[in-house]
Amino acid sequence: MIEPLFASNNYQVACKLLDAATLRHEAIAANVANAETPGYKRMDLAPGFATELRASIARGDLAQTAANLQPSLEEDTHARSVRPDGNSVEIEHELLEMNRNSAEHEYLTQVVTYNLKQLKMAITGNNSAP
Amino acid sequence: MSPVSSVGSPLTSLYAQIAGANKAPPVLPDSLKVGAPTTAPSGEGFAKVFDQLIGTVESKQTQANAITQNVLVGGQGQLHQSVIAMQEASVAFSLMVEVRNKLVDSYQELMRMPV
Amino acid sequence: MNLISGIEITASALNAQKTRLDVIAQNIANAQTTRTPSGGPYKRQLISFETSLLQQTGDGQPALHGVQISSVTSDPSPGERIYNPQHPDADSQGIVTMPNVNLAYEMVDLITATRAYEANLSVAKNGREMADRTLRIGQ
Repeated sequence: MIEPLFASNNYQVACKLLDAATLRHEAIAANVANAETPGYKRMDLAPGFATELRASIARGDLAQTAANLQPSLEEDTHARSVRPDGNSVEIEHELLEMNRNSAEHEYLTQVVTYNLKQLKMAITGNNSAP
Repeated sequence: MSPVSSVGSPLTSLYAQIAGANKAPPVLPDSLKVGAPTTAPSGEGFAKVFDQLIGTVESKQTQANAITQNVLVGGQGQLHQSVIAMQEASVAFSLMVEVRNKLVDSYQELMRMPV
Repeated sequence: MNLISGIEITASALNAQKTRLDVIAQNIANAQTTRTPSGGPYKRQLISFETSLLQQTGDGQPALHGVQISSVTSDPSPGERIYNPQHPDADSQGIVTMPNVNLAYEMVDLITATRAYEANLSVAKNGREMADRTLRIGQ
């Protein structure tokens, strides 16, 4: 009876993408930390997660497959090695990605908060203070 | 109307369940029509619904506790998963509390009815 | 409690960059040192970075690496030889071997290390902001 309350598509997608955004920040932190380590290849989210999520939404079975859909990290094979020592990290690119990820994270927390506040308002019938 | 539409359908159906069990529905059900066979009173169905509600609230609380404990002891749990689970458990719990309040109110209203 | 994502990795980087700055400062300070306890002029110190395994995720995820300084070695390249017979460390021909510290290079290295430190600081700040926003979900 409670589950349908939290089965709204946007809410589920936002929760999953929050997992991905947090993981992505860790990958970016590792990239920035190793910006000068010889031979280090940059890490990023595996593209399979996004495609699977989109396919799941298109099929309409997100509620069932949500538990199996987990973001993961992998070496970014598209990153060109711009330095002679084989390091493929470009620090400006990493900082831009970090800002983008941060903005996405903020947006996703807004979506989740919005859904939760709607539920609380509908249940208690008044604009409850935090 | 549009802000509520995203959570409209599950919630309105939920409220329809609660409303239907508490008051007489606007359309006379078959059980009350003259000559129709009597069926089980609607109170029985609602008790089952409420039991289910309590069970789901408990499982949501347990889930939130598990994730939170994972974060507290430094395990694999993520902060946002714990926060969201706690919020969901709180929403479920407040739903249960509101249902209980409505039940108590309607009981008191029934008691106030002159026989 | 791991509340801020990636903070251990960023901490390792801040540590490594700070050590790098220390080494650069030592090089600059000793740019004129012609006598060391081991004899001979000061030799420029070089650092090299390597990844350090910080988070071993058990569920098959690739591990994320922080950074650490693998070694601090002396630069073997010879220093400048200057003819200065009056110098207390001049050899029999009056030639003093100066340390192989190139100030211009050290200054560029200093700026690079500072920028790297600042970049990691901004990553840490960002992680903290994300955690703050997460805590305000639902309110």
